Amino acid sequence: MIISSSKSFDEILESLKGENNIFVIGCDVCAAKMHTGGEPEVKDMCARLEKAGKNVVGWALPIGTCSIHSYDSLVEKNTNIKKADAILVMACGSGTSIIAKLVDVSVYPANNTDSLGGIYQGNVFHAQCAMCGNCTIADFGGICPTAQCPKGLLNGPCGGSMGGKCEVNSDMDCVWELIYQRLEKLGRLDLLEKVIEPKDNVEDNSV
Amino acid sequence: MIDNMPLFGQKLKSGKFVVTSEITPPKGNDISSVLNISDSLKGWVDAINITDNNRAVMRMSPLALGKILADTGHNVIMQMTCRDRNRLAIQSDLLGANTMGIDSICLMTGDHTTKGDHPGAKPVYDLDSVQLLSMVKKLTQGYDFSGNQLEGTPHFTVGVVSNTDISQKMQMMKLKKKAEMGVDFIQTQAVYDLDQFKEFVESVKHLGIPIIAGIIPLKSAKMARFMNNNIPGIKIGDDIICRLENAKDPVYEGLAISAETINEIRDICNGVHIMPIGKSLNTVNLLEMAGFSPE
Repeated sequence: MIISSSKSFDEILESLKGENNIFVIGCDVCAAKMHTGGEPEVKDMCARLEKAGKNVVGWALPIGTCSIHSYDSLVEKNTNIKKADAILVMACGSGTSIIAKLVDVSVYPANNTDSLGGIYQGNVFHAQCAMCGNCTIADFGGICPTAQCPKGLLNGPCGGSMGGKCEVNSDMDCVWELIYQRLEKLGRLDLLEKVIEPKDNVEDNSV
Repeated sequence: MIDNMPLFGQKLKSGKFVVTSEITPPKGNDISSVLNISDSLKGWVDAINITDNNRAVMRMSPLALGKILADTGHNVIMQMTCRDRNRLAIQSDLLGANTMGIDSICLMTGDHTTKGDHPGAKPVYDLDSVQLLSMVKKLTQGYDFSGNQLEGTPHFTVGVVSNTDISQKMQMMKLKKKAEMGVDFIQTQAVYDLDQFKEFVESVKHLGIPIIAGIIPLKSAKMARFMNNNIPGIKIGDDIICRLENAKDPVYEGLAISAETINEIRDICNGVHIMPIGKSLNTVNLLEMAGFSPE
């Protein structure tokens, strides 16, 4: 799932300067789970925009804003979208870009897209996958260092980790510590002795 | 490059106890203070490490300063981190350095950009230090990373850095991987705990790689405490902290402690690497106190 966070209302308002008739689109999948674009957040956004002097012409909540069939399917949800001069999207960057393909008015993001992560037992896990296009997570006991080590190291930790914590953020466990513990538990510490070749970034580079 | 000067790699191979020190390039284009330091080291050290935007603070390129110091008759160990260059840039810089007379390098991951003075910079880390070593090995065999044949094959004496705390199992595992790639010397994190260092030397003996012990003279008890709390792999005992605290001249006491350390470990390692943070001109004082004399 895509981990997103809300932009500040001030930043959103600043970006909508000069736009009056606004339609708000949330996303009932990832953004809803992150509370950055579900029904309560969309309704709250509409109210705040109205209070700030904007004319909110309507809102919609597609099930997955990144996988919308057509513009007509948006109109089916709420015909008022036709009255909009601008659309504010409370989804991830992917959802926002899909909306931008479908409409002929300006599209603005209400969220920042942070990473590909997940939620487990109510806890949000950031950056579980870096979408490198070349998955080797089995070498690391199911914990991806490309995504979770700030340096993306593949052959072990840097010299900056201290007391099992990351050089970049001492509140964060060094992912290599976690990989070690996991592989020890699995009886597969041998995997750590393997020299891992550099990533072939061709997949990642070819958009 | 002065032709009759023995190269650092040859000195290492000869079994000589080597002394290296470290120079941080200037932030700017004024090299006068750096030249003062390098002049003071002449005859006292076998090579000078030149740091590569160390602590992720932007400074003059070690390639440029390396060439300048090599031209003034120094053996240079150019440091190279994985942080600022992708595989193309690293290879071009290495070929350029080698062509200009720099044949010793020390490779490391590099502190993260967020720790330095350009925290918004994009960190590269296209390769990690093990992969960088493997690429250097290929270059010295006449091929680039992609397997294309080189016009002229460079030669490098290749060093790596290491922590000396063997309880850091992952770090030690990584050092083993580095060794498999072909390493000519190891420069260690600063040594204060002799037992820890001896254990380290014992545990890596089988790799057969010369070990150059890191020495950072302490300047105060406060510095010692700071290092204990903030620098990975550093273990400064209470006895040392006590000596610094009670000393009339803690800077001198710090040099005396370092001189004692050097003499304690002389017989079990292959050299010392002196990193006189902010007090470069003290390197010679320290070497004198430890009983060395200029060549």
